[in-house]
Amino acid sequence: MVELENTSFNYNKDSGIFDINLNIKDGEFCFLVGPTGSGKSSLLKLIYFDLIPDDGNVKVLGFSSKKTKKKSIHKLRKKIGVIFQDYKLLNQRTVYENIALPLHINGLGRSKINPLVEEALELTDLLEYKNKYPSQLSGGEQQRVCIARAIVKNPDIILADEPTGNLDPTAAYKILKILEQINKEGTTVIMATHNYKLISEKEYRVIELNEGELISK
Amino acid sequence: MIDQLAFLISEGFKNFFRNKIISFLCILTIFINFSFLGSLFVIGYNTSSLVDFFRSKYSFEVFFVENVDEISYQKIIDDLENKNIISSINLIDKQESAKIFKQEFGEDVVEMLGYNPLPISLKVFLNENDFEFDVVDSLIKNIQSIDIVDEVEYRGKYIDSIEDRINLAIFIFIIFVVAIIFLSFQIISNTVRLSLASRKDFIQILKYNGASTLFIKIPFFIESLINAIIGSAFSYYFVKYLFILINSYFDLTIQIDNNLWIWIIGFSSIIGLYSSNNSMKRNLNE
Repeated sequence: MVELENTSFNYNKDSGIFDINLNIKDGEFCFLVGPTGSGKSSLLKLIYFDLIPDDGNVKVLGFSSKKTKKKSIHKLRKKIGVIFQDYKLLNQRTVYENIALPLHINGLGRSKINPLVEEALELTDLLEYKNKYPSQLSGGEQQRVCIARAIVKNPDIILADEPTGNLDPTAAYKILKILEQINKEGTTVIMATHNYKLISEKEYRVIELNEGELISK
Repeated sequence: MIDQLAFLISEGFKNFFRNKIISFLCILTIFINFSFLGSLFVIGYNTSSLVDFFRSKYSFEVFFVENVDEISYQKIIDDLENKNIISSINLIDKQESAKIFKQEFGEDVVEMLGYNPLPISLKVFLNENDFEFDVVDSLIKNIQSIDIVDEVEYRGKYIDSIEDRINLAIFIFIIFVVAIIFLSFQIISNTVRLSLASRKDFIQILKYNGASTLFIKIPFFIESLINAIIGSAFSYYFVKYLFILINSYFDLTIQIDNNLWIWIIGFSSIIGLYSSNNSMKRNLNE
């Protein structure tokens, strides 16, 4: 599903990702941990081909970073849901419109979009906020909108980049529960975090990075 | 596919309304630039009338002495008609002269004086293509030496130098117009680029959610087209009514090309689309 072979990406001499070998199987839930600047976000970016490695190869869902052309990257991204720490929501659109966006991108008609968005809203407990704008929601609620947007297209992989980073413990726990539920339905979840307390309570695989190098996998 | 297209078109229109300030700035930029360009083109279009005016000077008039007989002046007409440099000849008899006099001065010369003192004359049109001032000058001197010719009036003495100056003016005008077009392109392009830069996050979100390059571009193209059409439509009506006003105020007959709106709207749309595409390429790292 996700395979990194001797992958390196250099921002400059001292920062980046260095010679990483990693394999994540279908349906796995794993945490990606490490201090700030350790390369967690860069690794996720390599997985959704926002960064292309300088050396080595990244294989995701049959797409290879070596062979995939720039104009075909969107085909891979249609199969991946990305959750950002800063939510990346469209503030001029309602919660419903934000969540429906990936489905419009996938070319679905309104009649198909409506039940899928409703389902995602229900799963993330956002039904009552569907006509509100992101600015009218709390941080935790906005993060749930981001999750709903990521899961609505039923992706094969969810990449969550510090989804609990800006949230209080209760909201963070709620987010983790939603991701666990998605994982139970068969979606692979890779969650970057430095919230060690959250990880310690779970028995999922932990991939640890430090200064761009893999410490444990 | 149809659902996707409908979504993209509606997004283009929604973006236009969502980004009111940027839309307003784009429309204003297009309006100012195309008002200026449109005015220049109207002026350019009318320089051809000016050239026609000077071209009308490719003629001279021959006035005969009083009591000239028909056979004599007919012989001169026949001689002139055989010359390549002459394109046509109009005979203006005494009655015709009186008519022209009345048209120009509003008085009936026969009623006023009791007789018609106006001479018979010829209006001789020169062939513009074979025009050579020296040949015309020598021809006029020959005609003047004929007994029955009282006077030859030719106002085109300076036509060569006038035409040279007109051609130079047209050349400078074209350079000026090209420079303005280039400048307009830069200004419009920068405004569009600015509007796209402000929505870099939106483009990123679309990208991360699997949107193809074309999917991202289409709403921006539609938005650019809306801006271009509105801005240039305003500039067309501005230019049109500006020259109508100038015509009525200064009693001029400046003509406005019937197809002016087509090229103003067409040209601004092309610039808008091209600028959007260029700016998008940068934002999408194409």
